[in-house]
Amino acid sequence: MAKSSRTTSKQDATFKGSVTETSDLKPFQILASDGKPVREDLIPDLELVETLYRKMAQMRYLDDKFFALAKQARLGTYAQFGGQEASQVGSAFALERSDYLAPMYRSTAAMITHGWSTKNAIMYWRGHPEGWRLPDNLNILPIIISIPGQYVHGAGAALGAKLKGTNQIAMTYIGEGGTSQGDFHIAVNFASATNAPCVFIIENNGWAISVPRAVQSKVDYLMRRAEGYGIPGYLVDGNDVLAVHHTAKQAVDDARAGKGPSLIEQMTYRIRPHTTGDETKAYRTEDEANDWIANRDPISRVKKFLELEKRWNDDREVAMIAEIESEFAEALAAADAAPAPDPRAILEYAMVNPGQNLIAQQAELERRIAAFGGAA
Amino acid sequence: MTQTVDRPVEGETRPMTMAAAITDALDLALAHDPSVVMYGEDVGNLGGVYRITTGLQKKHGIARVFDCPLTESGIVGTAVGMAAVGMRPVVELQFGGFMMPAMDQIYSHVSRFRYRSRGRWKTPLVVRFPVGGGLGLLEQHADSPETYLAHTPGIKVAYPSNPYDAKGLLLSAIEDDDPVFFFETIKNYRDPKLRMEVPTGYYKIPLGKARVAREGSDVSLITWGGMVQQCETAAAAAAESGIQCEIIDLRTISPIDLETILESVEKTGRVVIVHEANLTGGMGAEISALIAQHALYSLEAPIERVAGFDTMPSPFNSLNHFSRPEAIHIADAIRKVLSA
Ligand SMILES: Cc1ncc(C[n+]2csc(CCOP(=O)(O)OP(=O)(O)O)c2C)c(N)n1
Ligand SMILES: [Mg+2]
Repeated sequence: MAKSSRTTSKQDATFKGSVTETSDLKPFQILASDGKPVREDLIPDLELVETLYRKMAQMRYLDDKFFALAKQARLGTYAQFGGQEASQVGSAFALERSDYLAPMYRSTAAMITHGWSTKNAIMYWRGHPEGWRLPDNLNILPIIISIPGQYVHGAGAALGAKLKGTNQIAMTYIGEGGTSQGDFHIAVNFASATNAPCVFIIENNGWAISVPRAVQSKVDYLMRRAEGYGIPGYLVDGNDVLAVHHTAKQAVDDARAGKGPSLIEQMTYRIRPHTTGDETKAYRTEDEANDWIANRDPISRVKKFLELEKRWNDDREVAMIAEIESEFAEALAAADAAPAPDPRAILEYAMVNPGQNLIAQQAELERRIAAFGGAA
Repeated sequence: MTQTVDRPVEGETRPMTMAAAITDALDLALAHDPSVVMYGEDVGNLGGVYRITTGLQKKHGIARVFDCPLTESGIVGTAVGMAAVGMRPVVELQFGGFMMPAMDQIYSHVSRFRYRSRGRWKTPLVVRFPVGGGLGLLEQHADSPETYLAHTPGIKVAYPSNPYDAKGLLLSAIEDDDPVFFFETIKNYRDPKLRMEVPTGYYKIPLGKARVAREGSDVSLITWGGMVQQCETAAAAAAESGIQCEIIDLRTISPIDLETILESVEKTGRVVIVHEANLTGGMGAEISALIAQHALYSLEAPIERVAGFDTMPSPFNSLNHFSRPEAIHIADAIRKVLSA
């Protein structure tokens, strides 16, 4: 790791945080932010580029719709991923359908990329039991709110797959803030020690609610910690979907080939509020977000590239948007048509074999339902 | 002037919500004692997700109120170390449901630091966090983990129900040389119905002294925190049919004010215990055991408990009112103990 002479400290790190800057690392890019290739040699098949672009466009539309629905109380509190489409779509797209995904609250785009349906996502964020049931044909572990339990589960799922010899791997996500938790270290180190096929992704979106990245640690890039675990660490421009996908694919392939876990830090930015309850003006300037939207947007970058390649034009764009809109409308209508949840869902799945306490509580639940004059 | 009173008797007051009263206590504590420091996730610049520490960093400086890395175990564990060397950390965890990553520090260290060193090291720290449901927030944003703490030796647990108590209990907690966990009911923070005149000065309410929130002779409702309001609604409804409920607001569940509980039970002979935490092994069980031991022959009916179910608090937004005890469920239990 780079040392001393190139090390500068901007301010006292005690309370505001400061990052020890070194200059030997730069986020890996395939496309520059203007859509021009910086690594011609790594441009994949244009079919794949277009697929990634379409998925990201669909995700941005969905994310904004979810926000609007939440503001109308047609969804509960929702954690937007806006700005992180490349980071989530590009990485999850590197998985095989049967691989395990261990998501966090902001992973909606990764989950949908891995096969979760829009309707299910709506139902989940609505707080409907049907949405909480992840489809049986999908290897997505539960969405974790308590930071960062999912990282450890990812390590365990990977180790389980390895022991069973199934050739599946696991991928899990964390925010840069979450890397300050003990469980972050525990997960990556456990996978390192057991050579478990797990791909650990850090989505560094600059903020942990109101807390800037610098408060979490003096280290310049969090992926440097990979060295301490003896595993590969990658630093990627998280708004370059081609770079994200390329790196994730490498890590996925390595894991599947028995080479163990990797740690990938994707530099991105949350252009939206933390959740529907958050007010960004309280802690960051609008200019900061606007700069990312105007100059480093992950979606328009690929769109520009596809246009340069003559693979994309306004007509195709219009047709795609119409398709995205109607697909979403259909999913929303299906979610709206779902019956209101039965209060009895509260005690379902509490135990495989309920004890006497739960059986007695079923009677209590019936009394409460009756007290409110029947089911919701 | 420091005064220990049950109700404000003198001095200036102003109307405060729970949130305002807690902020006021924190502000006074920072001014009162230079060893008080506050930190946690988002508490510095933003003032916390519920804005309880808003303005405190600006007023008292960044070395007194600051943001720290995202780690509950780190927040509580460093508070132990800080307290040992003479600081008075008043740390915030973002939600009660996120206390668990700190549970190792709480159980293994906060609880035993002084005992382990035969009094050489003290742990005068306060851990505050928002708790309770009824708002349709995400999972782990609606929990009420007081039982885990009450079961852990060596610590105190305050769980106020109104602005006046919140301020006085918090100032006591900060001055107390034992570690204190301070529960703040989210649903109560800015509830205009709870807004009341609160002294603007520095005053304390002793930890371990319950409050008789309503006098009555037919049934004792024993409760704390956000459930006090639900009990008051149920008691008001019961009064319309001529049933007089007495409400004991415990204020602190550790230490527990057994004397006040027994006085009430001996008077009414009928008991309903109400808490938001899940039923099995909850504080209702401990209180029932104490009553059975000390006042069994005063009882005229089996004790009823109204509590959460033995699952996580309902994560299903439209079903929360079946999961969290509400006045209507308490009314049911009141009928039950009266008809026994
Ligand atoms: C154990 C735990 N503590 C606190 C929280 C509250 N919380 C939710 S999101 C958040 C910030 C997380 O930031 P980061 O890890 O960077 O992820 P991001 O939200 O930016 O995607 C906090 C403190 C939580 N969910 N879990
Ligand atoms: Mg973040």
